[in-house]
Amino acid sequence: MTSARFSTFLTQIAQALREEKGPELAYLLKPTSDHGKQLVKEFKNPTRQSLSYYEGSMEGPWDDIAIQYVLVVNHCAKRRAAEAFKEECTLVNSFLRYFGTNSGWTLPALFSILRDMRDLAFDADLEASSNGQEGTANMEEAARIISKAFSSCVMDRTSPYAESRKWGVYYVVGLILKCYFRVKRISLSKNILRAIEANPDIPPLAAYPRSHQVTYRYYLGMLSFLNEDFAKAEQELTLAFYNCYTKAHSNQERVLTYLIPLRILRGHLPSRELLDRFPVLDDLFTPFITAVRTGDIRAYDSTLELCERRLVDLNLYLTLEKARELCVRGLFRKVWIASSRGTRIPVAMFHSSLQIAGMDVSLEEAECFVANQIYKGFMKGYISHEKQMVVLSAVNAFPRLADRTSPYAFLY
Amino acid sequence: MSAAASSSKAPETKEGESSNREQAVPHLGMLEEDDEFEEFTVADWDDSQTDLAHLGGASPGAAKSGGDKLWEDNWDDDDIEDDFSVQLRNELAKKSSGGKGPEPMQH
Repeated sequence: MTSARFSTFLTQIAQALREEKGPELAYLLKPTSDHGKQLVKEFKNPTRQSLSYYEGSMEGPWDDIAIQYVLVVNHCAKRRAAEAFKEECTLVNSFLRYFGTNSGWTLPALFSILRDMRDLAFDADLEASSNGQEGTANMEEAARIISKAFSSCVMDRTSPYAESRKWGVYYVVGLILKCYFRVKRISLSKNILRAIEANPDIPPLAAYPRSHQVTYRYYLGMLSFLNEDFAKAEQELTLAFYNCYTKAHSNQERVLTYLIPLRILRGHLPSRELLDRFPVLDDLFTPFITAVRTGDIRAYDSTLELCERRLVDLNLYLTLEKARELCVRGLFRKVWIASSRGTRIPVAMFHSSLQIAGMDVSLEEAECFVANQIYKGFMKGYISHEKQMVVLSAVNAFPRLADRTSPYAFLY
Repeated sequence: MSAAASSSKAPETKEGESSNREQAVPHLGMLEEDDEFEEFTVADWDDSQTDLAHLGGASPGAAKSGGDKLWEDNWDDDDIEDDFSVQLRNELAKKSSGGKGPEPMQH
């Protein structure tokens, strides 16, 4: 039982290998390619066993890879996600044997099959959960295999610089991090980041294609954000945003979802021009931004309460709750303006302002609020507790928020 | 983490005004926690296809004063005619004219 189509497939693979055509190889191994659909028709219920006839029909591991491909497309056609994923894993493992002993010319194919494997893992987990088996076992398995590919990229010590497998490092890391985020095991990311740091001969990030840079920076920024390293998060997400392809609107939106709150904390508010480009973010953040601008704590709190669920889901709740301090600053600044920017303002005035804003606090609590604002550097001055008087600096009593040198210090 | 700092929340902030806003809950259908960073359709692009293009040499995120018009760093609100400020000034006037006890002078 020889198949003409399968023979053609083998010939095409052989040719791509001979000519070192990475993108062509990627195309040939894609389950959704046309020849894949043709091969489904060619074999009825193929198994590893039934295809063993083709073992040795070309240089290993490519005979295995070609056979695996037939199994994968067959399962895909029958919508058996778990089986398709399992066979794709075997395909990737065979591919890695070739990959690890060659230069980086096969990187386009590596990226493609890893992506497919991850997508199939996603489907397989979904299929399992629809059968009542909640879990992320498949995605975790995918992450393990992708990590092997990562090691193989990092360990290339022989290929010439331009053709090094190292040029795959950041793309592959992006995929691993995507898996970890999906299965909510982000603490595992530390090992990967450490491995990158431990290998100074990996080319500088800026030398990689922008798609690799931006994806990596997005995840690095997100990790820093979740670990409350806000300065680092802002730095990485800023670079991710500005280097992002503007046509990749949803990716830009994703970056800004976290970058905007970080920059608000810093005293940089998104301009109308920016918000107009992202209506979803405009809806989400504008009520907060308006409240910060005007020191309207009541509006801030009700928005926080209104959006609580969404913000918790997006991991943004704590950050925006912390940004409430900026709103208190705005309120106290209003007191100062209403007092003709005087340098001596009774604590009672700040107390009144909080009450007008709807916060039923005692005089002592109000004094505490003022003390806090001074401590955090939002106001310059001191409190004369005996005289119940706030004495403000004659110059720059309310420094611009954007002028602080460590804007995130007050969050800790 | 200092999540405890919320003790200062207004006890009853939502009444008539905020129940109107209930309808206006931001519809974030497009922004989901599970959304993933998408695969780019192209591998590489140049500055002209990014937001760097509009910076004219300013550093990314520098804000308006630094030449990046996507962010504002000069936004303190000096409006003194808004309801809140008016209320505040009335309160101030009341406090200083009430004149009982050792009320400190204003200037």
